[in-house]
Amino acid sequence: MKIIPFGGVVASALLISLPSPVLSEEANTLDIGRFAIAGYGDVSYIDQDELNSNVTSRFVPIFLFQLSEKIHIEAELEFSIDENGETEVEMEYADLHYFLNDNTTITAGKFLLPFGQFGPNLHPSWINKLPSGPALYGHGGNGLMTPLMPVLSDSGINVRNSFNVGSGKLFTDFYYVSGPREEEEEHGEEAEEVEEDGHGAIPEVELEFASGDNNSDKAFGGRVAYAFLPSLEVGYSFYNGAYDHDSTLDFNATAIDFNWIGTYTTIRGEMINTSIDELHEDGDIEAFDRNGWYLQGSWQMRQLGQQALNPVELVARYSEITKAAEGERWTIGVNYWLESSAVLKIAYEDTELEDGDNDNRLFIQLAFGF
Amino acid sequence: MKNTYFRCLAALSIMFVGTQLVLAEHASDPELIAKGAKLYSENCGRCHNPRPASDYSKKEWSVVMPHMREKAHMTGKESLAVEAFIASTLTADVRNDRLSSSDPKETKSGETLIKQFGCQGCHTVGGVGGTLGPALDNVVAKKGREFVLKKLKDPKFDNAASAMPQFPMSDADVNALIEYMEKL
Repeated sequence: MKIIPFGGVVASALLISLPSPVLSEEANTLDIGRFAIAGYGDVSYIDQDELNSNVTSRFVPIFLFQLSEKIHIEAELEFSIDENGETEVEMEYADLHYFLNDNTTITAGKFLLPFGQFGPNLHPSWINKLPSGPALYGHGGNGLMTPLMPVLSDSGINVRNSFNVGSGKLFTDFYYVSGPREEEEEHGEEAEEVEEDGHGAIPEVELEFASGDNNSDKAFGGRVAYAFLPSLEVGYSFYNGAYDHDSTLDFNATAIDFNWIGTYTTIRGEMINTSIDELHEDGDIEAFDRNGWYLQGSWQMRQLGQQALNPVELVARYSEITKAAEGERWTIGVNYWLESSAVLKIAYEDTELEDGDNDNRLFIQLAFGF
Repeated sequence: MKNTYFRCLAALSIMFVGTQLVLAEHASDPELIAKGAKLYSENCGRCHNPRPASDYSKKEWSVVMPHMREKAHMTGKESLAVEAFIASTLTADVRNDRLSSSDPKETKSGETLIKQFGCQGCHTVGGVGGTLGPALDNVVAKKGREFVLKKLKDPKFDNAASAMPQFPMSDADVNALIEYMEKL
């Protein structure tokens, strides 16, 4: 019986696509290009307690193709140098957008997961106002802290909608991706230390994309957000997927995020809760919960009206993770904007773990978008 | 069952109408450009410093904008409006590096130019407009005529990170704008 409405959907979808070739000729009055390269890169000096200081660099081009007004293709590659001097290449994402209509886009491929704000929108180094990421995320190295969401992208399909509602906009993203998988390696050093403290070890769940999946279950997630234009956006995200071979153990995550933008000031924050099912030797399954949050503020000194200070921006961020590998981190920084998409950042980061470990890092980073 | 089938068709028919509306709009429409300026201010600045239009050529922007449509959750109509605004600030399919000083064929009022260039997308005028840039009310008295003149001719002269586009304005346009802003 479900075939009838499904058939209607398919027929109507075909009907939608029919007029597009004719009407696209009218819209082509703009200069339509086919290919463009954008992207970002950075050079970072990091001085960390009890470690040699280090200089790293990355080049992250984004290849953009416009096949037609309805189909757009994008791919981001990250080139960097590893500890042995070898060039590393990582595909951050490669996907196809199909613009179904004015409001709806279907994305297929490997894409940045719409979970919170930092992962999908704020992690590129020229956009991230500090040289390090919030402690909740593992992208780009996270010092001593064990992140809650080490994932940025995965492979699957996403349906995105944008609607004008009242004086603002409502966004929704719902995706179906390969999902998390059990890590094959032994527990890392940090996890063992946590275990010794009596809190229990953090179950090892790998969320980075790999070809193939370790089970037949896929992960389902989404984000629903409302933008009170022009200043405030608030969002709620969720993610659920089985990570073991038998599809009996789940990884769940939820997040609340907000982003407030003023003429000279921004305030951003996210709160993430995660729950990882853990299988005990007696066969019982227990949920292992972790959560954390961060709050970041920035202020552009051009508000003072002193020309020499116009390119200067001050940034501060506080991150905290509770339960298992508990810790807190302060990061303060000064940015000097050379262009609207090129910035010299100097930041100092102080991390204190509850087990007594601490970690101080000094960053100097030149980041650019192109 | 019939109701379900009808609802599916009705919902998709609305999408179909939406698709036609997007493609029917024309990029040179002044109202579309003004709307694009507002959307540029509201959407681009949510995550990063808005990029000046001169960062890419018109053809490059037409490929970059579908990418940003997804990042910023813009609708198709909104994306076209932003693209129209960006295109309006570029004189050709090349970087717009200098101010045009040629004599205008027609003299426009400052009020008309404010609308034409979508200034209220980023600045408030009479309390109405965007907040990405400072308010234009009283700006000439506060900053001085010379400062405003320099800013219009070279938006980055006092701040290399300024997102303000370098508009293709004649000297007469600049003077008309300043005279209008002096009265605000």
